[in-house]
Amino acid sequence: METPLKTPIKEVINRFPPVGAILEEFGIGCVPCSVGTCLLGDVVEIHNLSPADEDDLMMRIASVVSPGQAIRRPDSERGRTAKPRKLTYSPPLKRLVDEHKLILRFIAMVPEIAGRVDLESGEGREEILAAVDFIRRYADRYHHAKEEDILFACFDPDLDILKAMHEDHRQGRACVQGVLDALERGDTDGVVENLHGYAGILTEHIKKEDEILYPWMDRNLSTHQVGELHARFQDVDGRYREVQESYEAYVEKVEKNKFIERAEVSR
Amino acid sequence: MSGFSGCPGSRMVEFKDSPVGAGSEVKIPSQLRQWPIQLHLVSPEAPYYQGADVVLAADCVPFAMGNFHGDFLKGKALAIACPKLDAGQETYVEKIRSWYEDAKINTLTVMIMQVPCCRGLLATAMQALQGSKRKVPIKYVVVSLQGEVLQEEWVET
Ligand SMILES: [Fe+2]
Ligand SMILES: [Fe+2]
Repeated sequence: METPLKTPIKEVINRFPPVGAILEEFGIGCVPCSVGTCLLGDVVEIHNLSPADEDDLMMRIASVVSPGQAIRRPDSERGRTAKPRKLTYSPPLKRLVDEHKLILRFIAMVPEIAGRVDLESGEGREEILAAVDFIRRYADRYHHAKEEDILFACFDPDLDILKAMHEDHRQGRACVQGVLDALERGDTDGVVENLHGYAGILTEHIKKEDEILYPWMDRNLSTHQVGELHARFQDVDGRYREVQESYEAYVEKVEKNKFIERAEVSR
Repeated sequence: MSGFSGCPGSRMVEFKDSPVGAGSEVKIPSQLRQWPIQLHLVSPEAPYYQGADVVLAADCVPFAMGNFHGDFLKGKALAIACPKLDAGQETYVEKIRSWYEDAKINTLTVMIMQVPCCRGLLATAMQALQGSKRKVPIKYVVVSLQGEVLQEEWVET
């Protein structure tokens, strides 16, 4: 491998599987990524390791990929963070992180919802449709649309990390379509499988955004851009105020139902 | 100096000459695009504040920072104030709130020195935001006595 830093991460991991485990140790979860076209050098940059950790990581990757030959990013690109990482966000990105919290509360309920799928009763079908409605209108049309149409648009659309995020959104949408198709067929297993599929994809996806993507974006957005993002998000939030409130109420209701059912079971 | 027990904001310190750029003949152009700049003197609705990214700097900041113009002032509107010595700071709250609500500024960057009394300027900007109908992202930058950026962070609102 002549220029490891300029090689897509999936190619590096495929040729040298131990690299995947080394990256994992540094909190860089490229192995399960569905795209994997990010270049190794960009992956290292985006994770913003301390200079010491970056040296350590590079030494270990070099020992696998090119024994006896060091791999090092140019000094101009290295080591902007000597401080330990603490996750803070600009106000517009903090807003998206807060929306993730509601989506994660819903995802925490998926095992409950999937565990009692009843396609025979009208009520059971309603429950699935309500879950799909939350995903489609809140998580997708409201939250993902803010990301795709406004936030991601501040960056070069050819960035691999953005392609990976779009791909996650697409896979999430495919799972939701899968739920609806299975519902139509009266296929309980299909509904359950696709609900779990959605929960798995979105859990990983949100973790990537909260811990890697958003902090990287905040480091790269100008003060002016942050102000503009904030104003545009406020605009969308103003138009979707009722949507937000009604879906917060929906998640609360699902959580409460779970609590009541648990209480009944233990009685 | 170790025996000093008074306010760190007025403690006496002397720095050695900076080796970099000392005696340099390069002229650095000003990035200031407006007048006046003192917070008591400015009108918050002046055209240069409309929709702008505004820097509110404590009086000492631009003197401490060698690159204030290039790194922080460029492309922005400015006001300066001293949270320790200025009188009539209630008007500051009103003026800053008018930036948020009337001038509809895009962002506010509050630049303060590392001395504790300087925090008051950030507190004033936050107080103005609390009563404001319009929310604006606020960033704060803490500058050391020798002009380095010690902290640069968005305020959680
Ligand atoms: Fe996303
Ligand atoms: Fe997201």
